[in-house]
Amino acid sequence: MVFDKYESQRLRMGSILPQLIVNGLIAGSIYALVASGFSLVYYVIKFLHFAHGAVLTISAYLFFVFLNVLGMNFVLALLLAIILAIALGLLINFVVYKPLRKRKSSNVVLLIISLTLLSFFTSFALAVFGSSTKTILLAQQNIIFDFGAIRFTIIQLAAFLLAIFLFFALWFIMKKTKLGKSMRALADNKDVAQVVGINPEKVYTYTFIIASFLAAIAGIIIGLDQNVFPRLGFNFIVKGFISSVVGGISSVPGAIVGGFFIGLAENLGIWVLPSGFKSVISFTILFIFLLFRPQGILGGKKDGI
Amino acid sequence: MLEIKKIESGYDKLQILFGVNMKLDPNEIVVLIGPNGAGKSTVLKSVFNLANIYKGKIIYKNKDITRIPTHELIELGISFVPQGRQVFNTLTVKENLEMGAFLINEKDLVEKKINEVVEHFPDLKKKMNEFASNLSGGQQQMLAIARALMQDPQLLLLDEPSLGLSPKVMKDIFQKIVDINREGAAILIVEQNAKQAVKIADRIYVLEDGKIAMHGDKKILKHEKIKHIYLGGH
Repeated sequence: MVFDKYESQRLRMGSILPQLIVNGLIAGSIYALVASGFSLVYYVIKFLHFAHGAVLTISAYLFFVFLNVLGMNFVLALLLAIILAIALGLLINFVVYKPLRKRKSSNVVLLIISLTLLSFFTSFALAVFGSSTKTILLAQQNIIFDFGAIRFTIIQLAAFLLAIFLFFALWFIMKKTKLGKSMRALADNKDVAQVVGINPEKVYTYTFIIASFLAAIAGIIIGLDQNVFPRLGFNFIVKGFISSVVGGISSVPGAIVGGFFIGLAENLGIWVLPSGFKSVISFTILFIFLLFRPQGILGGKKDGI
Repeated sequence: MLEIKKIESGYDKLQILFGVNMKLDPNEIVVLIGPNGAGKSTVLKSVFNLANIYKGKIIYKNKDITRIPTHELIELGISFVPQGRQVFNTLTVKENLEMGAFLINEKDLVEKKINEVVEHFPDLKKKMNEFASNLSGGQQQMLAIARALMQDPQLLLLDEPSLGLSPKVMKDIFQKIVDINREGAAILIVEQNAKQAVKIADRIYVLEDGKIAMHGDKKILKHEKIKHIYLGGH
């Protein structure tokens, strides 16, 4: 009897494994999207921009409002949500971070401020939209690809493909364009960057534009794939942060690898653990990395990009 | 070409220079020597607007350039090579040179400049796609100088270019500096290792405690005190 029980469990597990991998890749692409922008800010400007989570939350709500409340068409709602999310990222940089940098505030101060901003925008969303979750309604949302062993929605497929595309685009910007090279130069040696005429604040502005763009895409995808709720940004920036640390905090490719690693680990983990353990799994991995490989998977690599 | 007039400068509240006067003519190599902590680097950083200037003026080609932004100084033809083989380690040699031409927007012109500049540095030419971190100390210093040449400087400021290099490499570096000077750039070098640097100098300034203690042509080297303190004579 005992043998039979395990046998059936093994069979059941075997059949869900492909689906768990698919789920892991989808979660991974979202974590990686969140982590890539967060890690880009850390790489270039050298501080933990937790308020990146606020951009996630706000972009998801904006998209919801434009699409479902104001009834705009998909493309317009998407564009507006992205543009305003970028504006929010820039506003946070100009109004809060820049004066603090000028005052040469320590990273601890910047860390506290960025956490405060995250809490502020979480409370703001709660105050304006209430605690109930909002579901973004989109006609195409219900298209499901069913291959028997695996199934996924069109949103999830789009999330995965878009993430992969954006990572290549990011790589291209960093490696091949003058802006990317100046970001890497600044990340490498700020003094020399200034000596060759690079204006750090100008490059930081572009860094926030790129990072907030990535956050807006991630926020909208999360909103479409799951729901929109005030703690969305908080929950996902925590995962993005774990992904960044596991991948190597000052490495953007590391953050992407870390995102997929955490996404797959959480989903494969529930092969043996109840599904409520997802976050326990990712935090356990974070602890293991902090204790035994604090530089992360790709950390310690000479080139941060 | 360059005139430093009664400069008082430092970093925030820490004053380092107390009224420094210096002059540099076109095509000259001027060497600034002095003990550790005298403020030699601060002189260069004041010219390049990387230190806080409290008082005094810096005149370049009859124009007051005191406190004007660094990128404008580069456009005026001034380049600075900071102390300690400062390169972008995580960028390739070629990318380092591209960054040297950061203010030039035409891609073709940048390519052309890179090709011109590396003609002077055969070692770099062979390693264009290597990360700067993989270069030897001497090569990194060459790269830092090559990077400064990307904008065609008429005035090159060098902060201890020989620091931490072997005597042979040091000699190469100083030879390069002479070559750059022959092509028309005025050069202001700060050096602790005065022995090598004064060989190529047209004129010498001695900085002590934030003030110019002595200046003149090579004859001042015969001065007992200078011989003793800076040239290692006993």
